[in-house]
Amino acid sequence: MSTKLDLVKSKWTLKRGLGRKLGMKNKVRKVRYALLGREINNGLVFKLFLYAIFLSTSYIYIQPVLKMVVKMLMNGKDIIDPTVTWIPSTLYMGHLSAAWEVLKYEKSVIISIIVALLVAVFHCISCGFAGYAFARLEFPFKRIAFVLLLVAFIIPPQVVVLPSILAYRWAGLDNSLVSLVIPALFGFGVKGSLFVIIYRQFFMTQPRELEEAAKIDGASAIKFYLKVMFPLAKPAIIVVFLFSFVWTWNDTYMPRMFLGGAEDVPLAVQMSRLGQSLDNLMKASEMPAYLAEPIKMAASFLTILPPLLLYLFAQRYFVESVERTGLVE
Amino acid sequence: MKKRILKGKTMRNLEGSLFILPWLLGFMAFLAFPLLFSLYMSFHNVKVLPFQMKYDYVGFKYFKSILFESSALYDSIIPFFQEAIVMIPVILVFSLLIAILLNQKLRGRMLFRAIFFLPVIFSTGYVLTEFVNQGEGSLGFLERYELSSYLNMVLGDSSWTNPIKQVLNRFVLVLWFSGVQIILFLAGRQTISASAYESARIDGASPWEVFWKITLPAMSPFILLNLIYTVVDLFTYPFNPIMDLIGNGQGSYGYNSALVWIYFMIIIIFLSVVLLFYVRLSRNRSGARR
Repeated sequence: MSTKLDLVKSKWTLKRGLGRKLGMKNKVRKVRYALLGREINNGLVFKLFLYAIFLSTSYIYIQPVLKMVVKMLMNGKDIIDPTVTWIPSTLYMGHLSAAWEVLKYEKSVIISIIVALLVAVFHCISCGFAGYAFARLEFPFKRIAFVLLLVAFIIPPQVVVLPSILAYRWAGLDNSLVSLVIPALFGFGVKGSLFVIIYRQFFMTQPRELEEAAKIDGASAIKFYLKVMFPLAKPAIIVVFLFSFVWTWNDTYMPRMFLGGAEDVPLAVQMSRLGQSLDNLMKASEMPAYLAEPIKMAASFLTILPPLLLYLFAQRYFVESVERTGLVE
Repeated sequence: MKKRILKGKTMRNLEGSLFILPWLLGFMAFLAFPLLFSLYMSFHNVKVLPFQMKYDYVGFKYFKSILFESSALYDSIIPFFQEAIVMIPVILVFSLLIAILLNQKLRGRMLFRAIFFLPVIFSTGYVLTEFVNQGEGSLGFLERYELSSYLNMVLGDSSWTNPIKQVLNRFVLVLWFSGVQIILFLAGRQTISASAYESARIDGASPWEVFWKITLPAMSPFILLNLIYTVVDLFTYPFNPIMDLIGNGQGSYGYNSALVWIYFMIIIIFLSVVLLFYVRLSRNRSGARR
């Protein structure tokens, strides 16, 4: 009797032990899943790794911007003081207003906005037409034209800049802001061929049935493009607009070449002029670095502020658009 | 019947031509004409007179004097090339990595994406050069870990020591140049269907294998595109040493045109070498897989 009971008991404990062991195993597995994930890319360890990489890279990208803002708000004493690195003791606006004046900010910011806006709008329209033609339409010598497009993409602007200056002078457009805008009307200008390529890639991803339906309805290509395809291309338009605006805004090479010594120049050119003259002053040691640097920082900040605001406003649409552009097939 | 088909075709051709016409006109005016004209100028001594220009034919004089009679071109172009060769793979690998990681599902990834596109706004402007001059470009880790003496030991006295040190020193700058590349890779990553990954997972492939067998081959057209973009971007960057050379050249139109044409040819040769290398590499890889 007792032996039987013992047997049952021992079996029972065995079972329980086994059960506990199994439970342990389950727990271990749970912990392992939580840490490493069922697949490697949804575990905790991997996520921490991702955050580590992203945070450090973000720091690299944001740090100079923050430093710029901090430096321009410091007064001279804080800049020399080695104990003040990040938080200035007082907010000093002197550098900002000095930079504002030297840049002739109100005037040059308006010039920059007008030029960049016009160029961006023209790029959106003209590159769209060309991109659609390359993606879907037939025309003679299409292959050769495509090779020309690639050539246009890789030609450095420096190759064509001298004759362009001469041509503008011949047309009486030298030192005129018009010379910056005209090429965009035809799909050229700052990285224009890249925008044509972006549009082309976008239109290639659209279903062909749309065109066939339009053809049956007897719509002409232009009507169809304006009514259907162009409105469909919103993601591509956003990407092109933002790129074009920002790159034209930042471009100093073309304006410096075309505008030469003109009085009214875009902001980026004013900025680079200011930077160079401050550098010269520092080299001639007529101005100590701790005075010149904050002014430069303030000017840089004023220069990138408008595109930065535009980006902050547009970035949600932009980030989404990038995914939907189908930039390349 | 035949006539109508023909008519339809010419009609379509006509419509297509109408779409492309502005671009072609622009190409003629803003590219083809200046390109040929600068070629013409490079063989001539251009004199600017008050009301006209005078062109005296000088043959290959400028080309000869740039290529064989002075070392100014080589002095600035060789270090630049070495730096570019080190920089290009770093940019490509970094941006591919970031794009793939950004594609993971993660809380706050939209914020990170917004931050990672910031370089697109800065990287073309004068502001970036400001940052670089400020010393923001250096992490200082070469000095901190005494890597440079180690590098000196490994590389010896070869002319590559300096460019590699430069790139390592300005590593942050390299990251600043990868904005557009990250965007292109990210857009490219969207073209790979999720089902490919699912079936690979069911077959029990490890993430490592999935990367090499699915992600990388599918991304190869984007790698090519980014390769071309990076090369073009680096070489047309207005603050690189050759641009300085062109900018403050001897002021003569003919001389500058010759210089620019030589530079253009160098870019084309460099691009074709890079492309050849890329084709070789990808063919080798696909051969190995088979």
